Amino acid sequence: MQTTIPFDQDLLDKLSAIASEGIKNAAAGFSGMVGRKIEVDSPTLEIIPLLTIPKVVGGPEDDAVGVYLRFEGDMVGQIMMIIPYQKALELVDMLMGLDKGATKTLGTLERSALGELGNLCGSFFLNSIAKSVNADIRPSPPAVMVDMVGAILDIVVATVGGISEHVLLVHANLMDGTRFVETDFWVLPDMKALHGLINNSSI
Amino acid sequence: MNNPISLGLGEQAISRNPEDILVAYGLGSCLGISMIDPITRVTGLFHAVLPERTNGSDMNDPTAAFKYVDCGIENMLAAMVKEGANKGRLIVRVVGGANMLIAPGMTSTFDIGTRNIEKARVKFQQLNIKVAAEAVGGHIGRTVRVYVADSRVTVKVIGDKEKEL
Repeated sequence: MQTTIPFDQDLLDKLSAIASEGIKNAAAGFSGMVGRKIEVDSPTLEIIPLLTIPKVVGGPEDDAVGVYLRFEGDMVGQIMMIIPYQKALELVDMLMGLDKGATKTLGTLERSALGELGNLCGSFFLNSIAKSVNADIRPSPPAVMVDMVGAILDIVVATVGGISEHVLLVHANLMDGTRFVETDFWVLPDMKALHGLINNSSI
Repeated sequence: MNNPISLGLGEQAISRNPEDILVAYGLGSCLGISMIDPITRVTGLFHAVLPERTNGSDMNDPTAAFKYVDCGIENMLAAMVKEGANKGRLIVRVVGGANMLIAPGMTSTFDIGTRNIEKARVKFQQLNIKVAAEAVGGHIGRTVRVYVADSRVTVKVIGDKEKEL
C-alpha cells in the first residue's frame, strides 16, 4: 500500500518543527486553564500505517478516552487525542487540582473537562500550523468518548480508510511538577493540502 | 481451547482447529462477521472496516478485500466453501457497527456503523443466507470471540462480562 502523497524526511522535519511549536502553545493554553505552569517535553512525530493504529495505543480492548476534533478551511482533517483510561483519571486530577487518585470515574463534569482540554490542545495546535503556513483552519467542537481503544479509533479509521493509508502521530508528555501524563494525538490532515501548504510556506 | 487468534482491521481467519478462538477486539463502527458450519466445524471471522470498496487506492490489492463488508462476505463465503463448509448450513452472526461519534453535527455524516450493518444485511439477503444473530448498533464498542470447538460466539462490551450471542 502507498500513500498518494508520500512523506519525505524533509516534510516530516518541517512538520516536526510546526508540531513542536503547536504542542508548546497547547501547553501554554493548558496552563492558563488550570492556573499552574504545565510543561511539555519535545513531541515526537511518526508516520504510521493506518491499520496498525490500535496496536500502537496498546491493546484494542483496553479502556480509553478519546477526544475528537475535525478541522476545515484551507486544510481539512481530523485530530484524535487518545488517553488510556487510568491516565485520563490522572489528567482530570491535574485539571481540577485534585490529589492524584482522587478521580475514580468519569462523569459529565470530568468528560467535559477532558473535552475542553482536547479542544484547547487541538485548537492551539491547529493555530500554530495555520500561523506557520499562513492558512485559515477552523476546528469543530470536541466530542468525548469512553470506550475500547479499537472502537474509538474506528472513527478515525473509517473516515479516512480507502483515502489515506497513513496518519501522522504526535506523541507528547504533559508535566505538572513531578506528575506527568502521556498523550497521543493522531492528526489526519488532507495530505495533499498539507504538502502544498508547507511547500509554499517560508519554513 | 485457548489459542486466541486476534484479527486486526481488514484481517480474516478460517479455522477448524478446536483449540482456536477467533477474536476481533474493540469493534466500533467496524463489523466482525462470523460464519460457522456446525457440522464440518469450518469457522471463519473477519474484521470489516467500510461498507463497500469504491475506486480507492487498493482496488487491485487482493489482500485488502476483507477491509470491506461487501467483498469480504463474498471472499469469506468462497473460502469457507473451499475449506469444506456447506453454504446452506452456515450460521452467520454480525457484531459491531456502532456509531461511536455522538457530537452535534457530526453524527449523520460519519455514521459508517449503520452503513456497514445495512450493507451486511443486503449482501447476505442477496446470497440467500439468513443472519442468525446480531449484536449491532448503539454507541458502544464490542469484542467478538468465536470458539471453533463448540461454535459459540460471544460478545463483550466495556465494563461487562462476556456474553453468548
